[in-house]
Amino acid sequence: MKCLIPGPNVKVLGRTIHALARFGDELYLESSPEAILLRTLNASESAYAMVKFNKVFFSYFNYNYFSAKDQEGLKCKISMKSALHAFKSPTHMDKQVENLEIRLDAESCKLIFIIKCKHGIVKTHFVSILDCKAMQAVYTKDLVHNRITSSQKILSEALGNFQSSDDQVNIEVNTESLILRNYVDSSMDLSKVIRTQISIKSAEFDTYVIGRETVITFTIKEFRALLAFAEALNLPLQLHFEVTGKPVVFIVHNNTTFEAHFVLATTKSDTPTQTSASQNSTITDRKRKEMGFNSNSVRKKPNLDVDVSKCLDEDSHLFDYIEMPIDIINAQNNDCSNKDISQSIIQENVDCDNIPPSPTSKMKIKTIFKRCFESTFDPRSIRGSVLAENSDSE
Amino acid sequence: MKFRAVMVDTGPMREFTNIVSTISKLSKECVLRLSTEKLYFIVSEDNSGPSPPMLWCEIPQDTFFSEYQIVGVDDEYRDIYLGLVSANLSKSLATLKTAKCLKMKLTKKQCPCLTLEIETPSSTSQQTRQVTHDIPVIVIPRKLWSEFHEPRIPQPDMSIELPALKQLRTTIDRMKGMCPEVVIRASAEGRLTLQIKTDMAKVSTRFKDLRVMAFEGPIDHSDSETETQTIEDISKTCYCRVDTKKFSMFLSADQISHNATVCSIVNKKLVILCLQTEENVKLQCFITGIVY
Repeated sequence: MKCLIPGPNVKVLGRTIHALARFGDELYLESSPEAILLRTLNASESAYAMVKFNKVFFSYFNYNYFSAKDQEGLKCKISMKSALHAFKSPTHMDKQVENLEIRLDAESCKLIFIIKCKHGIVKTHFVSILDCKAMQAVYTKDLVHNRITSSQKILSEALGNFQSSDDQVNIEVNTESLILRNYVDSSMDLSKVIRTQISIKSAEFDTYVIGRETVITFTIKEFRALLAFAEALNLPLQLHFEVTGKPVVFIVHNNTTFEAHFVLATTKSDTPTQTSASQNSTITDRKRKEMGFNSNSVRKKPNLDVDVSKCLDEDSHLFDYIEMPIDIINAQNNDCSNKDISQSIIQENVDCDNIPPSPTSKMKIKTIFKRCFESTFDPRSIRGSVLAENSDSE
Repeated sequence: MKFRAVMVDTGPMREFTNIVSTISKLSKECVLRLSTEKLYFIVSEDNSGPSPPMLWCEIPQDTFFSEYQIVGVDDEYRDIYLGLVSANLSKSLATLKTAKCLKMKLTKKQCPCLTLEIETPSSTSQQTRQVTHDIPVIVIPRKLWSEFHEPRIPQPDMSIELPALKQLRTTIDRMKGMCPEVVIRASAEGRLTLQIKTDMAKVSTRFKDLRVMAFEGPIDHSDSETETQTIEDISKTCYCRVDTKKFSMFLSADQISHNATVCSIVNKKLVILCLQTEENVKLQCFITGIVY
């Protein structure tokens, strides 16, 4: 692959690399006949970014420059640090750089950036390739209920009100307004954190479509990075999201030349276990938090209940199985003449009941003593064997 | 206990932000005393970090707030004393310079909070947006109020007008790097001298023709070292040795637009720096002298 990027666009690429660097430590580059894709994933796999540069972004673009045989395009993984080295100061890049050439040879183990600067200076960066794999995240952005297009300024101004120590932001949307809050964990000392809430009227946004009112929580660090990116390029930002637990997708695009997707995981309620008891407890948990944020939000409670339970319902479809209509099963169970079939149906039915719980290894540790903190916990209810002795009073 | 106040004018809002940000630079924690007439910011020596200067700031409520309601615990104790982290307040007020309206309230949201409701205009449209900050505070019980009374100070020997704070600050900041202590010397002829001594050098900066606000008779120098200048009539000068850092900290108050700053000296014991603004805000800083 070989491509040439004209001076002004080098700045855009520089900004992109800097934004991606705030997401992950590794950069995946993939070339296709039509475009170059840059991707990254953060260490905890909760944030993913993909930027696609179309052919028109480049002044010269040949995806199989070195070998005409290879029709698939090339893929490589490089370290983000080395990519950053090539784009040290994106603000001044457009003034100094005349063009940038990127070369990727399937035979070679280096990705080459050749930067032609003013006054005949040529900087060549040979970046080691770590891997030849590509990575792709699966998410939906088109079939979602909630879509907001915002000028890049609105949200970054709003984030300016938060403290630098805040690490998660919570967005509540309803048809009239969007409310941003800093997320206060139940483990935080309330007497030390400032709780901030910003309410922005829907009229401020360019488009504002809310199909389902919801509350989502995600990290502020990556949000700041992508806002800085949108602001630097002076492009509006699109938010596509569903309910809590489903990723939120931010899109920045410049119709024809490039398109950036930033996908952030939204935090789900504390316990992902699927027993009905814990479902109830998570709802009350959230209610309690909600009360903490805003004492006069009582009227929003019913909505919230519905939302959370709905989302939990949906989450239980994580694995694929087809539910048998119960009446058919019963009818067939009663029919003894068709023993073989009923046997097999029962077998299936049993299988359906023994659904393995979804993997929750990371969260499990938090929930071991969960019951003790429930408001309805009655210590008398656990009688008999003591699993762990009380620790010493000292 | 109730408190509610509304600010709508941009001038006072900017002023208030500057005052709070100055206080946050001086100390990590402060006490906000609310009374029917005034707001007080108090920083005392013991309850705060690495010995910042003691500070007393009075803000008259009527020039700042368009609406001001306060109800104390009972008729006898009408004031409210709140302990808070000064940086929390100053960071939350950072956006106030462009705001339309500020509402301050005392609320109870799981813990006592000073709630700031700021209405800011949108940069892109005619809409306004509502920003709410809940700053956790500690309500100080009545029995501790006595700790936050205005400090009683001895009658100063001399009060002299200070030169422009910016100029003074650049001087002090240079001196701060060289010596931790500075001698402030004022004479009845309107001269102010800042002097530091190191092993290598002795640096002094003189400011002349300053207005002397008050001078209380000849000053007794009988117990002092005799190396002071003999050219001047030493009975007309007084001095105090203070921590350079503390002095420099007060000078960061130059961002508050002020009418006059006065330096009062109790010979060898205390320096009182007082800044007064057009809106009758009085910011006083007490720096105790260092005596060997």
